[in-house]
Amino acid sequence: MELTTLKIVPVQVTIQSTSLEVIHLQFLRNITYKQGIFYALLIACCLISIIFVHHNEQFYDRPIAEVIKATVSESEPLTDMYDNDDYLYTQHITAVLKNGQHKGQAIHLTNEYSASGAFDQEYHVGNEIFVGIDTHSMQSTLTGTILDLKRDQTIVIIAWIFIFALLIIGKRQGLFSIISLVVNALILSFALDLYVKHGSLNLLMISGVCVLLFTIISLLLISGMNTKTYAAIVSTLLGTMIALIISAAVMWLTGENGLRYEEMQFLTRPYRTVFMAGLFIGSLGAVMDVSITMASSIFALYEQDSTISLQALKASGHEIGKDIMGTITSILFFAYICGSIPMIILYLKNSSTLGLTLSLNLSLELARAFAGGIGVVLTIPISQYTAIFFINRKRVKE
Amino acid sequence: MNVIVVLAGILCLLMILIGGKQGLRSFLSLFLNFGVLFVTIFLMTNPKNSPIILTFIACTVISCISLFFINKTNSKTITAFISTMVTIVVLLLFITIVTKKSMIQGFGEESTEEISIFSLYIGVNFVQISASVIIMSTIGAIMDVAISIASSMHEIFHRNPLITRKDLFAAGLSIGRDILGTDTNTLFFAFFGGYLSLLIWFKDLSYSIGEIVNSKVFSAEMITIFCAGIGIALIIPIASSVNAYYLVRKREQTEHLSS
Repeated sequence: MELTTLKIVPVQVTIQSTSLEVIHLQFLRNITYKQGIFYALLIACCLISIIFVHHNEQFYDRPIAEVIKATVSESEPLTDMYDNDDYLYTQHITAVLKNGQHKGQAIHLTNEYSASGAFDQEYHVGNEIFVGIDTHSMQSTLTGTILDLKRDQTIVIIAWIFIFALLIIGKRQGLFSIISLVVNALILSFALDLYVKHGSLNLLMISGVCVLLFTIISLLLISGMNTKTYAAIVSTLLGTMIALIISAAVMWLTGENGLRYEEMQFLTRPYRTVFMAGLFIGSLGAVMDVSITMASSIFALYEQDSTISLQALKASGHEIGKDIMGTITSILFFAYICGSIPMIILYLKNSSTLGLTLSLNLSLELARAFAGGIGVVLTIPISQYTAIFFINRKRVKE
Repeated sequence: MNVIVVLAGILCLLMILIGGKQGLRSFLSLFLNFGVLFVTIFLMTNPKNSPIILTFIACTVISCISLFFINKTNSKTITAFISTMVTIVVLLLFITIVTKKSMIQGFGEESTEEISIFSLYIGVNFVQISASVIIMSTIGAIMDVAISIASSMHEIFHRNPLITRKDLFAAGLSIGRDILGTDTNTLFFAFFGGYLSLLIWFKDLSYSIGEIVNSKVFSAEMITIFCAGIGIALIIPIASSVNAYYLVRKREQTEHLSS
C-alpha cells in the first residue's frame, strides 16, 4: 500500500507542474512528458474509435439504415391470456441505407413494439438499425424488415467512460485492472477457440489451464512480483481446486438432485461440463480477492515487525478473514442471482408456480454462488497457512 | 438430497467453523438478502410499481442488512451506508440512461426458443428492469469498497488525529485504489463464468465480431461489466470524501465544545 502511494505522488505533482509551467527536475519532466503522451494518445484513441463506430457501416455485410422519420400509426391495448395488460404500437419508419448497393436510398419499415419491450423496442430518429431488404419489392421505394439495433456506438462510449473512470480514479491500479480484464478476456476467447476447433479437448482441462493463467496474470498485475504474490497464487489455486472438488463430490453424491439444467441458456455443448467450467472460472475472482487480501495483510504485519510470533500472525490473519468472508460471498451472490430477474418475472407473469419458477431459474445460480462461497471460506485458512509457510521459509533463509 | 441444500449446509458449517458468531451472521445475511431480492422481484411483477424505485428501496434495505447487521451500527457503518447510497443514486441515473440508449432490455434473439412458449406482453417495464439487474449485480462490490474504505480511514484517523481533511481524503483514495483491482477482478470472473455458455455459443455458431458486439445479450453483458467497474471506481472518491468530511467535522465539533 505504501509503495503505491509513493509512486502516485510524483504523478500528481507533475500534473500540477504542467499547468504552472515551473521548471522542475529532469526526472519529473520525463514523467510529465510520458504522462502527457499517454493521455494524449488515449484521448486520440477515444475520439478516433467513437468517430469510427459512427461511420463504420461499410465494414458490415448486413445492410444498415439510419432512421430519419418515425411515426406511431396505431396503438391498441392488449390483454394476454394471463390477464396482463400491455400496449401494442405500430411504428412506420423511414430510413436511409448507409451501406451496400442501395446506399443512400430510402427504405420503408414497419416496427411493432410493446410498452413493456421484452423482445421489441421503439426506434427513434437517429438510431442506426440492421435491416433485411425485400428483394421482390416492385415499388420504386425499398421495403424491408428490421433485424436489430446497431449497438456498437453505445458500447464504445460506455467502454471509454469505464476506461477513463478507472484511470482517473484508480491511476496505476485502474490501468492494471483494465489490462488484466483485456488480457484475461483474450486468453478465454483463445482457449474457447481451441475448444471449439478441437473436439477432443476437455472443457474442464482447458478451463484448468485458463484458471492457472488468469491467477498468475491477475495477481502479478495487482500486487507485483514478490513473495506475497507467490503465496497468494498458491493459495488461490489450492482454494479453487478444493472448492471444485467439493462441489463435484456433492453433485456426484446427491445425483445432481435439485439442479435444473433445462433453463440453462445458450447451450451448444454438454451442459454439465459447461456448468462446472463456469463454476470453476466464476469463483476464481472471489478466491483471488481473499488470497491477496490475506497475503497482503499477513506480510504487512511481518514487514512491520519481523520478530512477530507465528501465533500472532495466525490470529490476525484469522480476524481479517472473518471480516472479509461475508462481503465477498455476497458480491458473488448478487452477481450471480440478479441476472435471472427478467426470466423470473416472465415466468411469474405467465402464471408459473412459485416453486417451479425458482427451481428452474435459480437452482444453477444458487449452486454456483454457494460453491463460490465455499471456495472463499476455505481459502481463508489455506492462505493463512500458505502465507505463514512462505514467511517461515524467508526466516530460515535469513 | 438436494445439491443446493447440501452446498448451503457445507457453506454454513464452514462459515461458523471459521468465523464463529460473525460467520453465522454472514450466512444469515445471505438469506436475508435473498429474501429482500425475492420480495423485490415479486413487487416488480406488478406493472404499477416502478422497478427503479423498487430497486432503490431494495438497495437501501440490502445495505442496511449487510452493513448494520454483520457489522454493528457505528460511525464506520453509517459513513459506509451514506457513501453506498450516494453512489447508487448516481449509478442509477447513469445506468437508466445507458439502458434506454442501448436497448438491452428483455431477451435477445438467442433466447427465442426458450421464451417462445411465453406471452411476452406482460406490461412490466423491461428497460427499467434491466437497469435494476445491472445495479443489483454490483451492489455487493460497492458495499465492500465502502466498508473497507470507511474502516481503514477511521483507523488512520484514530492513529493520527491531527491529520488534515485533504490528507485524509488522499489516504482514502489510496486505500480505495488497492481494493479496486481485486474487486473488479471478482466481478469480471463472476460474469465470465456465468456467461461461459454464451461465449461457447458464439464460437460454435461462428458469429462474426460485428454480430457479437451488436447482439443484445453480449452488449448487455459488456454493459454490466463496464457499469460494475464504473460503480466500483465511483465509490472510491465518494466514500473518501464522506469519511474525510465526517471525521474532520466530528473533530472540529469536539474541539469547539472543549474550547
